[in-house]
Amino acid sequence: MVLFPEGAIRVEGSGLHILQLCDGNRTAREIIAELQANYSMASPEKIHADVVRFLEQLREKRIVDF
Amino acid sequence: MLPNPLALIAEITHRCPLHCVYCSNPLQMAGPETELETAEWVRVFEQAAEMGVLHVHLTGGEPLARADLVELVSSANRKELYTNLITSGIGLKPERLKALVDAGLDHLQLSFQDSREEAANWIAGTKAHAHKVELARMVREHRIAFTVNLVVHRQNLDHLEEMLEFLESLHPDRMEIAHTQYYGWALKNRASLMPTRAQVEQAVSVIAAAEARLRGKIRIDSVVPDYYAQYPKACMGGWGQKLMLIDPAGRALPCHAADVIPGLHFDNVRDNSLKEIWRDSEAFNRFRGEEWMQEPCRSCERRSVDFGGCRCQALLIAGDAAATDPACSLSPQHELVELATRQSEGSEEHPDPLKLWMYRPNPIHP
Repeated sequence: MVLFPEGAIRVEGSGLHILQLCDGNRTAREIIAELQANYSMASPEKIHADVVRFLEQLREKRIVDF
Repeated sequence: MLPNPLALIAEITHRCPLHCVYCSNPLQMAGPETELETAEWVRVFEQAAEMGVLHVHLTGGEPLARADLVELVSSANRKELYTNLITSGIGLKPERLKALVDAGLDHLQLSFQDSREEAANWIAGTKAHAHKVELARMVREHRIAFTVNLVVHRQNLDHLEEMLEFLESLHPDRMEIAHTQYYGWALKNRASLMPTRAQVEQAVSVIAAAEARLRGKIRIDSVVPDYYAQYPKACMGGWGQKLMLIDPAGRALPCHAADVIPGLHFDNVRDNSLKEIWRDSEAFNRFRGEEWMQEPCRSCERRSVDFGGCRCQALLIAGDAAATDPACSLSPQHELVELATRQSEGSEEHPDPLKLWMYRPNPIHP
């Protein structure tokens, strides 16, 4: 569960995995690289696109910055 | 099945250094001698967390007026509640702000009355504006979420664009642009606060443009002026469905204004657990579901969308808390709302706010 002003989102699966890597130290680029290394079944381009889209959605809600 | 409340609004005191003319506090405020003790609030937060509540909104009055605020934040944080402080910021020193952040404060919401100092102080009935600007700068030195809130109305809507630029310069994560809601002191001052239709329409486009410009940088949430809407607001997400409000004296209310409804008894957290109150109390059950509805709500297909609007507004305007919210265009009493908006048009009928303002006072000591 991610809590933010006036709202909450339940995050599961790959979204949860991405958010767990958002620790304030890793850059978006590092997070993508780490996921590409861990999920070798999916194409690196698709992982890149999915992570960017997910983070953009959270940025619009002002939950993450990158 | 009855859902759990998601948010607890903790009105920890009605004391306040500001006297805003649109304050939503009840006309009959709780005096300081009736306020819950620290241990009682701590127990409330523990019970809330056990029920599945996610957010605690510490508000008032001015929550900073409570000497035990840091302890209250700390106790809510210990129960993993997302803790929001809704404040005017008056009197908040850097040391106390740091103590609040260290205690686990997640989010601070700072209210502004205007971008122009003189106008802002006029609305607040006190010289508050400069302190708020200074506090906004201090807040950004900490890693907590920051919202600025602006209440808009007839007296300030003509320079909304300038106000949004001012708020942007404070670097918040989020802005809340709220049209005045007419309860409490705002209802007393309605004639001076009610915007014209032209102002409302202009505001919609100014806010939409700001949203587009600030996307990804600042999130904007806006509260619509329901007097000008076709359908009423889905007040509180439904009566007794999502929110619980605890007033300074410990009474549990389904919303800020529920006190205006005659004959409604509010259980007190001093006598009952939150869970008992949520589940069993007369006040929380009074307007749950659809059984209480009258026509046109009862057979309306929007009844599950907006729940007939606001019960308190129905009481305040139609004189019956179970009536359709008169803000709804389908309400038989809608003409009363239209009358209020019509009176805002036509310059010769403009009331002189300098004569008519009623400032919110402080709760009276016995």
